[in-house]
Amino acid sequence: MLKIVNLHARIGDTEILKGLTLELGAGKVHAIMGPNGSGKSTLASILAGRDEYEVTEGSITFEGVDLLELDATERAVAGIFLAFQYPVEIPGVSNINFLRTAINSIREQREEGPLSGKDFLAKVKACAQLVELDGKLRDRSVNEGFSGGEKKRNEIFQMAMLEPKLAILDETDSGLDIDALRIVSHGVNTMRDPNRSFLVITHYQRLLDHIVPDHVHVLAGGRIVHSGGKELALELEKKGYDWILDAQAEKA
Amino acid sequence: MMETTVTPATALAERVAEAVNQAGSCSVLDARQSLGKAALESLEYPTTRNERWKYTRVAKLRDLRPASASSPSNIPPVLADFNAHRLTFVDGQFQGGEVVNESGVFIGPLSKASQLQDDRLKALDQDYFADNEWFAALQAAAPQDGACILIPDGQRTERPILVHHHLTAGDVVAQPQHVMVVGENAHAEVILWTTCDDQATGLMNGALTADVAKHGHLSLEIVQDEQGSSHHIAHQQFRQAESSRLTVRTATARAHWLRNDLHIHQGGQHGHSTFHGCYLPSGNTFVDHHTRIDHAEPDGHSDELYKGLAADTATAVFNGKIMVHKDAQRIEAYQRNANLLLGERSGVYSKPELEIYADDVRCSHGCTIGQFDAEALFYLRSRGMTETKARNLMVQAFLSEVLDGFRPEIQQHVEQVYAERLGWN
Repeated sequence: MLKIVNLHARIGDTEILKGLTLELGAGKVHAIMGPNGSGKSTLASILAGRDEYEVTEGSITFEGVDLLELDATERAVAGIFLAFQYPVEIPGVSNINFLRTAINSIREQREEGPLSGKDFLAKVKACAQLVELDGKLRDRSVNEGFSGGEKKRNEIFQMAMLEPKLAILDETDSGLDIDALRIVSHGVNTMRDPNRSFLVITHYQRLLDHIVPDHVHVLAGGRIVHSGGKELALELEKKGYDWILDAQAEKA
Repeated sequence: MMETTVTPATALAERVAEAVNQAGSCSVLDARQSLGKAALESLEYPTTRNERWKYTRVAKLRDLRPASASSPSNIPPVLADFNAHRLTFVDGQFQGGEVVNESGVFIGPLSKASQLQDDRLKALDQDYFADNEWFAALQAAAPQDGACILIPDGQRTERPILVHHHLTAGDVVAQPQHVMVVGENAHAEVILWTTCDDQATGLMNGALTADVAKHGHLSLEIVQDEQGSSHHIAHQQFRQAESSRLTVRTATARAHWLRNDLHIHQGGQHGHSTFHGCYLPSGNTFVDHHTRIDHAEPDGHSDELYKGLAADTATAVFNGKIMVHKDAQRIEAYQRNANLLLGERSGVYSKPELEIYADDVRCSHGCTIGQFDAEALFYLRSRGMTETKARNLMVQAFLSEVLDGFRPEIQQHVEQVYAERLGWN
């Protein structure tokens, strides 16, 4: 589904990704872990089409299409969704109006007709239930005055509404208490589907207790330096990253 | 000895007076007209050295040679399906509409009201601007026909009154005078809508005078949707008696060069004034809102909110003065002006002015000038919105605080004009 080959990227003069290679199959949950500053959030931003980053080498193909040729809007239309680490507050735009505009904009670009008001509202109801988002939050301005947990639940709510093929969760667990973590994870797990892949970027293993990944990758120094199964997350939690980094250093 | 030198400003005043007289003037009160004429002799033509005109250039206007009005054609329809009591004026002349004159209610052209010798027209006796602002004096010296709305005590307008003024093509000058007098416990809802021909290059120099009596309520929505490249200066003054309520919302939808001078005088206790406005100059256009409220008596409340965007190389000016008079205690006066710059060469000049001579008041003001939030734009696009849709939504969101206050028909129209003008449709 997603194939990243030898990706090099920089922001300004700082090179952040230095030859990252990663392949995601359909229906799989891949977790990316790694120390601070290793390039995790950069990878998420580049996949979603944030244009501050310059890709200097390598390729990203999504379902056979060159992703780097698409802008942020077109990537969303192609089925990529990024749950933001820091969701943005947009005063004056209600959550509902925002989603209606987004969904119908996507449908228009896919040359589908707009969703009827009735179907839209039914969907809103179902998806809001999934992450226990109450009516007040649906009608309020996008993320304005939301708590950290509410913002992250709102991200998962949007993900459920937009039904992406590839969902990237950028440190969705940061700032969540245990209840919010449970709710968010439940939302994600319900969304797991043979046709949908997840790229879960996290610092801590605790999220992966709830969202059990198929594969775990370690990103360090701008490259994937180690990959393994779900048990790798536990090992990292116990032993930290140094043993991998040391092994890397020895190899080099 | 006769004065022989004629300044360019005097010459302009003479040309305007002549053009107005030819087209048809509407004299209501000689006193006001004399006041304007006298003021023109003593006042200097405004220049950017004058603080009130610092960013507002009128030098070019001085060379205007008013042409006689072309025959009115292509008057654009306004809110076609909207049920309103309509009055239409073209170039300061009454064009038609529904005239009502019964049981003390008068809704019609001022030219007709003045024949009735109605005492309420004495509202025009006092003028806040005519003896100190050159263009206001110019208008007072040679006024033309406008709407006259007189609502007696205890009555209310059944339908909103929609006053439409249109300026035709060419170097035409129009100086309409609108009057609104709302009696005690009376209520009037008025929409004042101005349009210009897309070939208009003249001057619209109009005045509006409104009195709201005790417990009266005037709700005014002003829509300025003007094509062409004319200049527009509006002199709007409102006087409020005890416990009266005034709401003035101004949407400058489209304008080439426009200055709104708005003055509110709360002359009784417990006055309540809301004045909101929005603007979005683009291209090389100019919009200027100068406002002033005088809280002359205690316990008044005012809520002022102006929001706007400046695109391309356009300029927006906001100047808001709040004057709390001595012993006008327990005033609550709030003012806010927020701006977004859309163009790298667009400009906004914003200046709040508070003068407070009472010691027990609550006043606040805030002015901001910012740019589009790039992160928010990316957020919207990452959810599948096209850049156009995302920008439109953000402009709408930014202006919603002001536009939500208008009736939905107007809100929709203004939002559509903004989207069209920015080429975001």
